[in-house]
Amino acid sequence: MASSATEEAKPKPRLIVRLGVFLASHHILFSAICCTAGVIALLFLPALAKNTYLSENALIPGSANTLFSTEDVLEANRFAKGIEAATGESRGGTEIPKFIAQQMKNLGAEVYYHEFLPDSKCFHPLKFFTSMTNNMAVKPNGTYTNFGINTIGIIRAPRGDGKEAIVLVTPYNSQRVQPNELLSLSLGFSVFSLLSRVAWLSKDIVWLSADSQFGEYTAVSAWLNQYHNPMFLSHPVTLATKMYGANRIIYKPDGTTEKAELMAFKRAGTVAAALIFKVGETRKYGDRDSVTMYAEASNGQMPNLDLLNVVHYLAVHRQGFRVNIETFSSLLTSSWLKVIAEVFHNIGTVLRKVNPDWKLDVTVPDYVEGTANLASSIYNQALGIPTGSHGAFRDYQVDAVSLEFGPAFHLRNENAKSSFLLRGGRLTEGVVISINNLLEKFHQSFFLYMLTAPSKFISVGVYMIPFALLLAPLPIVAAALAGSSKTKGKLLDECKTKGSADDLQIECGSWKWLKSARVLLVIQFWAVLVSLLPYYISQIPGAMPIQYAVIWAVLSIAILIILYAMFGSPFHAGVEWKLLKATMITTITLGMGLMSIINFATAQLGALILIPMCLFSRPLREQLEMTFLPRTILLVSSILLTLLGFPPVAFLIMNGLSKGSWTVDIVGDFWLWMEFLWEWSSATYLYVFLVHLPCWLLCIHVLLHPCHQPESKMKQE
Amino acid sequence: MAIRHYWSMAAAAVGFRLVLVLFGGDLHLASRPEVSTPLTSIRRLAEGYWLKQASMSPYSGSMYHGSPLLLSVLGPLTNKSLIFVAVDFIAAMLIRATGRKLQIARNRSLKSLDLTEAVSNSVNVSAGDIASLIYLWNPWAIVTCVGSCTSPVENLMVVIIIYGACSRLAPLAAFGYVMATHLSLYPAILIVPIILLLGYGPDTPPTKVFRLKNSNASKTDVSYDEKSSSSRDVRQFSWKPVLHFTLWLLFWSSYVLLLSSIILNKVGGLQEMFKKYFFAEVFDFFRSFFLIVFNMNIIFMVLPLAIRLKHRPCFLAFVYTGIVAMLKSYPSVGDSALYLGLLGLFANELAEMHFTFFLFFGYIGVSLLSPVMHNLWIWRGTGNANFYFATGLAYTCLQTVLVIESSA
Repeated sequence: MASSATEEAKPKPRLIVRLGVFLASHHILFSAICCTAGVIALLFLPALAKNTYLSENALIPGSANTLFSTEDVLEANRFAKGIEAATGESRGGTEIPKFIAQQMKNLGAEVYYHEFLPDSKCFHPLKFFTSMTNNMAVKPNGTYTNFGINTIGIIRAPRGDGKEAIVLVTPYNSQRVQPNELLSLSLGFSVFSLLSRVAWLSKDIVWLSADSQFGEYTAVSAWLNQYHNPMFLSHPVTLATKMYGANRIIYKPDGTTEKAELMAFKRAGTVAAALIFKVGETRKYGDRDSVTMYAEASNGQMPNLDLLNVVHYLAVHRQGFRVNIETFSSLLTSSWLKVIAEVFHNIGTVLRKVNPDWKLDVTVPDYVEGTANLASSIYNQALGIPTGSHGAFRDYQVDAVSLEFGPAFHLRNENAKSSFLLRGGRLTEGVVISINNLLEKFHQSFFLYMLTAPSKFISVGVYMIPFALLLAPLPIVAAALAGSSKTKGKLLDECKTKGSADDLQIECGSWKWLKSARVLLVIQFWAVLVSLLPYYISQIPGAMPIQYAVIWAVLSIAILIILYAMFGSPFHAGVEWKLLKATMITTITLGMGLMSIINFATAQLGALILIPMCLFSRPLREQLEMTFLPRTILLVSSILLTLLGFPPVAFLIMNGLSKGSWTVDIVGDFWLWMEFLWEWSSATYLYVFLVHLPCWLLCIHVLLHPCHQPESKMKQE
Repeated sequence: MAIRHYWSMAAAAVGFRLVLVLFGGDLHLASRPEVSTPLTSIRRLAEGYWLKQASMSPYSGSMYHGSPLLLSVLGPLTNKSLIFVAVDFIAAMLIRATGRKLQIARNRSLKSLDLTEAVSNSVNVSAGDIASLIYLWNPWAIVTCVGSCTSPVENLMVVIIIYGACSRLAPLAAFGYVMATHLSLYPAILIVPIILLLGYGPDTPPTKVFRLKNSNASKTDVSYDEKSSSSRDVRQFSWKPVLHFTLWLLFWSSYVLLLSSIILNKVGGLQEMFKKYFFAEVFDFFRSFFLIVFNMNIIFMVLPLAIRLKHRPCFLAFVYTGIVAMLKSYPSVGDSALYLGLLGLFANELAEMHFTFFLFFGYIGVSLLSPVMHNLWIWRGTGNANFYFATGLAYTCLQTVLVIESSA
């Protein structure tokens, strides 16, 4: 306080100090302006999207003529027939790997099988901080009848040094092969057979035909895990895991050396990039075959934009595919979005007249489509769960993209199928040629971006603006609150100097916030306990999700009560609500800042809910003393926002908005959703429980604060 | 006023450490760059010990840069970090005792200034208790202890210096000084506060206050002789303990050198070890330049601070440790744990400190930011080293603000 007193005495303090004081004194206006600007900027994002461009010159997509020809299509058809014949003989799941391995061997490739077990559900939300890569691929002992077999072929590059590799992945279900999976397998095989003959390869080619009976991701991540974590175990331990039936069916009974060769895990070099392609169901709508790109990996990580650019360029400009990305189709038809689009279009045309260089006047359909795509992009990133098996690659810093071909013809139509195979093969070959040209890892283009269309993106520098605007008022408000309570505290101290000096130490001066920090620490401790509870709850066997959720809720409330009994309830501690709010806002600033680094989309969505909630929170008692109109507005908005901020409610609303279905069983659904998040070790789980929930609880504390305490103390003095 | 439940809280802190040591194997704290530096890492120490056992020089590679004494004392114990829990506890107890000493001295000087009312009013919290609790419950101290690096030992030695000097135990202070200097060399600048402490005694108000008091006393002419003698007592610089200290210093340093040289005869030269202290990874031709620039910064601070704070040698020691933690090569959170613990000793004086709210949350923010940035740089590849470096800069800025605000 001494310094501020001297500042007042001085005629002109420094500009930055005056600016700070000015902002702090108008913090309500400032925060209102900033929050509104943030929301408007967020809605403006689709209009700010830029066209993608290729950053890396070495890629030169489409410069070489593709060699994939009708002969390769015939090869693919032969392969498909062979698989049909192989599966026709026996219904077991091991015939296809055997057939694929035989075919690859005929091409002169190195072949091996990779056996893996399905992932068991486990609770590892903190895995994010340790890294995904250092868990060893140790198989448990025992005998298993349920296992998957990946078949892997490696072509050694004639012009390379074997230090780098490109991975092609075709997932298929070995138990029941669908016609579309058969098509993708034959596409993969024909590309592989072509690549085994070309002379220009400088990176090894690995073709992984992934057994997706337990899901694509499991198969690919199990293979990648073993690829990157070599096991140096003694011989007996490796043999202790027996996959029942594998020895009998795949390998000939006498071929022990052959078996050893087929089971030895072989590696190529560092994986430069990976391409996952599969043929989806036939889509009746649309005149052209389409390709859908899936890129979101765990925790909102994206592959380098150049990889997507190459795929998009080749697919659209060379092979005539229609390229899609995931979208929220419910948004495409919503009328309120069209209204917003009209408004932005009009604003954009006005701005265009002011300065012709501002090209902000997007057309209404473009804006609506861009918003739907962007919403889906943000949602998928915020969830932090990979949208496909490319996510497994990103955990090892490998850029990967999933391509799902959507044929516009019936799969029995042989002519259309040949033409499709020809174009699909050329697309894949073209992408491989481009990646093969690379001299370094992908690094030129963006890693942090959001897609509004397959060829339009918003880079980190642009999408940060709405978030920064939302976050900007927080430090100012915290400073204003802390400052105002400090002046009050000073008055109190002056009153108290003569009186009892019992509690003076904590009350006095700039250490007053220690009490509110204590409340914060207790609540954070509670939040950590609550976030760890599911580990123990999920050990209880055979209960419904709703039962789990109820146990969770009851236990967390019990823990909160116990903690309050141990450390004292904040209502009785006599913490000033302004300081409590300042503490809460500072925590949010920290939490949001951290989360925006870990997973930006989560922070963005969280900020939309959390920041208005915190800024509006005032003790209800104090609100009652106001006049009618502001009182009702404040009361209603703070209660509504607080209700919205409760994670299950927020989940319900998000669920309803995204899927359009308003189910009653939110409690069970919430549990399932959380289970989903921690199984995938998504940082969103940590965010919800370590940032969002404590802030919500603090907000409740502020709302219910008996704010008359300090004044009564004053009167007593 | 002593803190209620002091012992239960201290025991809880020790228990918490034990729990983490015994069950926290999955945290991999020893591999965090914030916790263990190449100079303090116990894994490197284990490697050096293994090399020594295999009768090779531990200093021949670039694996181990620490002291040969640690190698022979801690080497056999590298797989049990329970010893660090004990070390931390001893350090906390010594901080507490130092706090007691400081408080007694403070009360005496206030009494000699006839400020008994101030004594009864303001000295209501035992600073030693607070300081030792801060040290015990400081998350960074816990992390350093559990992450098992050698900085708790270095911290203990610094605490021993300050305790020994405050209670005027010259042999103890000399021992701590020699050991601390031997372990990390930076505590060498603590010689100034030690001499001041031994000469003048613990912290007092500035001498001009006494002089003012004296002039007042001479005017009012009340029992002039007693007052002047007592104030002269306070002000006089006594050479005896300093000489004592110097003798013991010589003794201990020769003893330690003897010990290390006996070990080193087998495994290598002491010179080699000193070379590695200022090990900085830069281009070879810039190396000496950077060494001078980095380490001169610390030396520059010594004299001005000593002149300004000569009436408060203990506080001077705190400021020095803070500056060393800021500017030393290979900083770690263990250094901060030390000076934050010492900060608690001045809880009464610093009650009016500014920006405490900002500093508290800044420290929390930085300590959470650093693992995230590290993850972004090393594991995800979307960030680079500059992100992590920026976190380090923010951390140093916070320390600067803390030191400036505390001395203001």
